[in-house]
Amino acid sequence: MASTTKTVTAMPMVPNREDLDATWRYLEMGVSKIMANLQDGIDMNTYMGVYTAVHNFCTSQKAVSNAHQGVIGGAHRGAHLLGEDLYQNLITYLNNYLKELVAESRKHSDEALLAFYIREWDRYTTAAKYINHLFRYLNRHWVKREMDEGKKNIYDVYTLHLVQWRLTLFTEVHEKVMDAVLKMVEKQRNGETIEHGQIKAIVDSFVSLGLDEADPTKSTLDVYRFNFERPFLEATKQFYQAESKQFVAENSIVEYMKKAATRLDEEEERVKMYLHPDIIVPLKKTCNTALIADHSAILRDEFQVLLDNDRYEDMERMYKLLQRIPDGLDPLRAKFEAHVRKAGLNAVTKVAVDADKLEPKVYIDALLEIHTQYQGLVKTAFQDEPEFTRSLDNACREFVNRNQVCKSGSNKSPELLAKYADAVLRKGTNGAEESDLENILNQIMTVFKYIEDKDVFQKFYSRMLARRLIHTSSSSDDAETSMISKLKEQCGYEYTNKLQRMFQDMQISKDLNSGFKEFEAGLLEPGDEKQVDASYSILGTGFWPLNPPNTDFTPPAEISRAYERFQTFYGQKHSGRKLTWLWQFCKGEVKANYCKNQKTPYTFQVSTYQMAILLLFNESDKNSYDDIVKATQLQPDILDPAMGILLKAKVLNISPEGDKPGPGKMFNLNYDFKSKKIRLNLNIAVKSEQKQEVEDTHKTIEEDRKLLMQSAIVRIMKARKKMKHTQLVSETINQIRSRFVPKIPDIKKCIDILLEKEYLERLDDDELGYLA
Amino acid sequence: MSDSKTMITLISNDNVHIQVERTVAERSMLIKNMLEDLGDCAMSSAIPIPNVNEPVLKKVIEWCEHHKNDPQTTADDDSDSRKKTTDIEEWDQKFMQVDQELLFEIILASNYLDIKPLLDVGCKTVANMIKGKSPEEIRKTFNITNDFTPEEEEQIRRENEWAEDR
Repeated sequence: MASTTKTVTAMPMVPNREDLDATWRYLEMGVSKIMANLQDGIDMNTYMGVYTAVHNFCTSQKAVSNAHQGVIGGAHRGAHLLGEDLYQNLITYLNNYLKELVAESRKHSDEALLAFYIREWDRYTTAAKYINHLFRYLNRHWVKREMDEGKKNIYDVYTLHLVQWRLTLFTEVHEKVMDAVLKMVEKQRNGETIEHGQIKAIVDSFVSLGLDEADPTKSTLDVYRFNFERPFLEATKQFYQAESKQFVAENSIVEYMKKAATRLDEEEERVKMYLHPDIIVPLKKTCNTALIADHSAILRDEFQVLLDNDRYEDMERMYKLLQRIPDGLDPLRAKFEAHVRKAGLNAVTKVAVDADKLEPKVYIDALLEIHTQYQGLVKTAFQDEPEFTRSLDNACREFVNRNQVCKSGSNKSPELLAKYADAVLRKGTNGAEESDLENILNQIMTVFKYIEDKDVFQKFYSRMLARRLIHTSSSSDDAETSMISKLKEQCGYEYTNKLQRMFQDMQISKDLNSGFKEFEAGLLEPGDEKQVDASYSILGTGFWPLNPPNTDFTPPAEISRAYERFQTFYGQKHSGRKLTWLWQFCKGEVKANYCKNQKTPYTFQVSTYQMAILLLFNESDKNSYDDIVKATQLQPDILDPAMGILLKAKVLNISPEGDKPGPGKMFNLNYDFKSKKIRLNLNIAVKSEQKQEVEDTHKTIEEDRKLLMQSAIVRIMKARKKMKHTQLVSETINQIRSRFVPKIPDIKKCIDILLEKEYLERLDDDELGYLA
Repeated sequence: MSDSKTMITLISNDNVHIQVERTVAERSMLIKNMLEDLGDCAMSSAIPIPNVNEPVLKKVIEWCEHHKNDPQTTADDDSDSRKKTTDIEEWDQKFMQVDQELLFEIILASNYLDIKPLLDVGCKTVANMIKGKSPEEIRKTFNITNDFTPEEEEQIRRENEWAEDR
């Protein structure tokens, strides 16, 4: 030591570097000062003195060492680093210090114990930080060397403090501390205000004590998890099990749901307030089990009651609770689906008292009302959750396709839907605004989505569209195209192809008519009177769901010249095309100039057949039934109803009076015809005709289905060449399902037909082969 | 914390007061930790450095002054590059051109004051003095008396044969 006498006062007194006992006595004094009253501050001389003493001891050459084997071992590993004695002495010191603390702690319990623990923990860890710095030289050399050599249970001085705390104090007091913590938490759960900062401090302390044995530089949550989390969760479980059991016994389920939701929120808040985030998941799980899963059976039982009473808010509450537990919602979905189906079926039954006279609008509105109502429920109470939406869809599909109305025929729903669409799109039936119209179309599409027999809808829709186009009775072209594009979006190009072609034909016909007008004008000799002002629609045979007339007909001379001219014109334009006249869809207007007491003549709107009949009376006022048959060539089943309308309207009189048209009857023109209206529509479809049409449509559906199934089978087999019978059946169902749900026996029948036609052959092992 | 330009006073063990910028002094981890632990009140009083005398302390401060803006080496920056190379930057080489006694005192002081980069430079300088020398030359350089008997010397040579240049 090279210090002059002058410096003695300024320099800290440092003990002889080679004397362990003296050095330790000096160090212990400093350490005790730090441990005991750090708040008074530590003076710089002590600080520098302790540091220097540690340094000097560790760098001394001939320290008197208790650990002799250390010196002997040292010879082999080069430079021997001193320090073990200091380290061991420090451990002993800390041990004694902590034992005193343990004894002290026994005087306290509950909140006082918490306060004591936290106070001592803070003091101890702050001191540890100082001591760590003072013993830094030990850390840098001796501790580092020991750790580098892989010695276990050697820590830097700060960590050593934590380890000793855990070994000596923590093991003795942690259970009592935890008891106090849990008592406090229970108090809070019972509504008292607590000083939760204390719990937070305990959590932090427990977390700090987690040291990774494998790598002391890292920390783990093991100590915290085992000593804090575990008892905390257990206490939570017991608390809520007891509470919920009692609450459920004394209150309604709805009240319980409110209570549980509040409790769950509280626990989440608790984590934020003073718990370690690590507990979030297990705490949630514990609470969910005690508060929800344990009571899930009675909650679910309540669901039906809530559904029956439309308790949206309570259902939302239940949804939010049950979604927290695994598989909590499945039973709700099943109940919901059954409920919606039942509601749908009831709604249908209510309107379907007389299925035959059922108005399409009433039926569709009934379906839509249920759908709208429960879609609203899914949205508000179940957060539009996809699984609930699926349950809703399943239920809707069920009650749309299988209900009271469909009992008579499973095709009733698509038929009624198509009719409703027709009513909406037809002119004059309702004064719907353009925007309303779009809404209604969307509603139609909602129902359409659930229809299984989409082919049936297609059939009816195309027939009615044809009628609207022929009679130009669509309310709006825009609405028509919008509807077609909606269908296309749902079912693809193929589904709407024909509908679109029908539209195009009408457009082409318009152009054709103006061309014909010019052609006709060129033919007329000056002075010729134009006899008939006619327009023609050319409809492609393949696209329109129309059949040629099933009766012979000789058109009256007045119009035959006109249509023959058109035929010539069309033949010139498109040679080789055959025109078939669909007389049953033709119509015209005739003026009745003969009536007495009437200045402006009546105008009758009539079918071509009726026109042919009426024009006969231009020649003579009386005509016999047989004359009429001879002149028009009409079959009685067409002629009789047409005559019937004329008779009913009293345009013609029959004799004997009041009889029905038939052979031997006479008809004469009624000169005394009177009507309030100047224009009369006599072209009224007869009920029986409509029924016939429906039946025809159904028949064509069956035919088309067979073809559709056969073509699907051939397509599949062409691609696969070989296939098992059962596989082929299921693949066919897959392909066709978007149009209708095929029955397995029907598919088998189709396969048999194809076998017969030698498109397919039977192979061994129940396999079918494709024959090119 | 207070302004980086704050001056503090160090006292060498021969009782010389030396004024130094706080940031410069904090190159020593000992001083840095102490200032943090004791707080601002410690700054007003002079800091005794019991193991270092004035010339060495001044020399150390000179080094710290020059390196005050170096990035702080992190706790365990034992990267291979630092360990393996004996390269020393030019300024440090010049700085270390001092008599052997002062050189060793600087090394001891930097170890005591916990200034790792300076300790490294010192040790590298010594290593460079040893590099490429025969045992006899090394003995001469560091003024070491050979206290081995010829038999002992022979035995050691044989044990360490593997390390010889061949």
